[in-house]
Amino acid sequence: MSGNVKLSVGGRILNRVSGGNLLLLLLRRWDARVALAILTLLALSGIAPGLFVGPLQTATTAEAAPLLPPSGAHLFGTDDLGRDLLNLTVHGARISLVVGALSAVITLLLGGGIGMIAGYRGGRADALLMRIADTFLILPTFVLALILAPILRELIGDQTEILGIRTTLLTIVAVIGITSWSSTARIVRSQTLSLRERTFVERARLVGLSPMRIIARHIFPNIRTVLVANGIVVIAGSILTESTLSFIGLGDPFQPSWGTILGNAQSAAAPSLGAWWFIMAPGGAILFTVIACTIVGNAIDELLDRDVRVRR
Amino acid sequence: MKLRGWLLGRVGGALATILMVLLLNFVLFRLMPGSPDRALARNPRVSAEAIAAARVRWGLDKPLFPDQLVAYVGATLSGDFGYSVKYGGREVTSVIGEKIAPTLLIVGLGEIIALTAGIALGAWTGWRRGKFGDRVGTLSALILYSMPYFWLGMLLVTLFATTLGWLPTSGISTPGGPGGVAGIVDLLRHAALPIATIALGLIGQYAILLRSSVAEALREGYVLTARAKGLRDDRILRGHILPNALLPTVTLAALNAGYVIGGALTVEIVFSWPGLGLLTQEALQSRDYPVLQGIFLLLAISVVVANLLADLLYSRLDPRVRHGAAR
Repeated sequence: MSGNVKLSVGGRILNRVSGGNLLLLLLRRWDARVALAILTLLALSGIAPGLFVGPLQTATTAEAAPLLPPSGAHLFGTDDLGRDLLNLTVHGARISLVVGALSAVITLLLGGGIGMIAGYRGGRADALLMRIADTFLILPTFVLALILAPILRELIGDQTEILGIRTTLLTIVAVIGITSWSSTARIVRSQTLSLRERTFVERARLVGLSPMRIIARHIFPNIRTVLVANGIVVIAGSILTESTLSFIGLGDPFQPSWGTILGNAQSAAAPSLGAWWFIMAPGGAILFTVIACTIVGNAIDELLDRDVRVRR
Repeated sequence: MKLRGWLLGRVGGALATILMVLLLNFVLFRLMPGSPDRALARNPRVSAEAIAAARVRWGLDKPLFPDQLVAYVGATLSGDFGYSVKYGGREVTSVIGEKIAPTLLIVGLGEIIALTAGIALGAWTGWRRGKFGDRVGTLSALILYSMPYFWLGMLLVTLFATTLGWLPTSGISTPGGPGGVAGIVDLLRHAALPIATIALGLIGQYAILLRSSVAEALREGYVLTARAKGLRDDRILRGHILPNALLPTVTLAALNAGYVIGGALTVEIVFSWPGLGLLTQEALQSRDYPVLQGIFLLLAISVVVANLLADLLYSRLDPRVRHGAAR
């Protein structure tokens, strides 16, 4: 019975801390403020990179000498083709963040959907779905992503663009989504399991609402906050995975992300040439993004957690 | 009796997971651009006889289901992973086989160092939670945790190999280098940075997790009891807190094995370390799917086995698990 008491408390909290409320609570913490400021800055450069550094430099438009160390003219130095690294990194923000965010959306859709269905249906469907989720949880999904990406790419071709994003990048989005939904599904399922037993869901069932409608109208609104907290962590993970996939060579040379730039640095042997600036800017950008996301995620977790503790 | 049932359940679960991996691999194999047939025919170094034999072995002249599936699972279980496209039509098992030891060396040592150091750091920061040492330790752990492995490796090469010149930048040994003891020293000098990269990359998450479980355990009644008994701090930490706080870390170490391997693969690329990671990149560049699938299968099975071992270890550390009590 004590379980039930706890659940109802959790449910009320989830309703209470939502939307703009959550943002306000976050802004009261200094670490979350710093993290959100970093993310906002990165998002701005991702939205309008041209405004800050002009159009993306290519091998043909680069004017500087190759591998120049940082100077007044090139704050972050230049790469092996003479492209300005500040320019590349700011433009990389767009690709890294968009691919990271889109992958997170797919991950949350898949994980949230599967988690809610498994949790609400229960029984065999639940057992089967969670068996699959557990398998994905322990498998080296990164290696699976490595195999899936080129296969998908050969299946759909990589010469077109959708909404300004090249399909090479979209395959990466799909692959990250397919391989990383399982932990979200686990979290959402356990929330759904507890919500299913609540009176308002029972009432909806008695009134005769269909399972799909109950999930959409009564379950989903109550797990939104959990999804947001998880979503931040998922974005960080997606950005890391994207950068790793691009580093290995699955990125798009025409739309370089931070990982692609680092991959270029590796093939140009920047580390053994001592060209530290070639790796500093893009790598630092990844580091700051991931740390900022982790801090915000932790802060949300603690906010939800503290509320539960205070009310218990 | 209960223990045996529990064991059987675990082993059965692991086998079911491996079966699912095989199924996944089968589907991938058929999804591949061109049928497996064409992948074989595209491979100029495999003779016509070998192709014909493989067709029969893999049941390619029979229906997809169930014949081909059964044939595929049978062939895979008997160690027949097909032929590498890139490496002169050699059997995938032999191409992969020779790359296992180098990877095992750096991943194994890196993981051991990371667990030891991560547990120490986590216990220390958890014990001193809120104090200055905790802040610094936790922030470092967070930074290490957020770094992509390959970036960390590139930084270490730039600093310790190129700028300071202490260690070699890449490879596994000096070409034409010495043998015997000097050869082993040479190998370790080459392995030092890759191992350090993997260890540093892992320390962060172990430390963060252990810190929070130690901090949580500090609030428990048994710690208060131990204090009341007048036990010294290090006895409380070592004898009472750590045995309980270690459990989630053990689970994480095993659950994370798959993730660690993914990271290790990229570390090998940075250091041109001739293991599975470098092989993965080469296979990827030449779209050598049979090799990629072989690597996936091998890693998947290792991870499943690692999790099974962790489960067994967990049941030794925490008897409640095998006696079916609530956790």
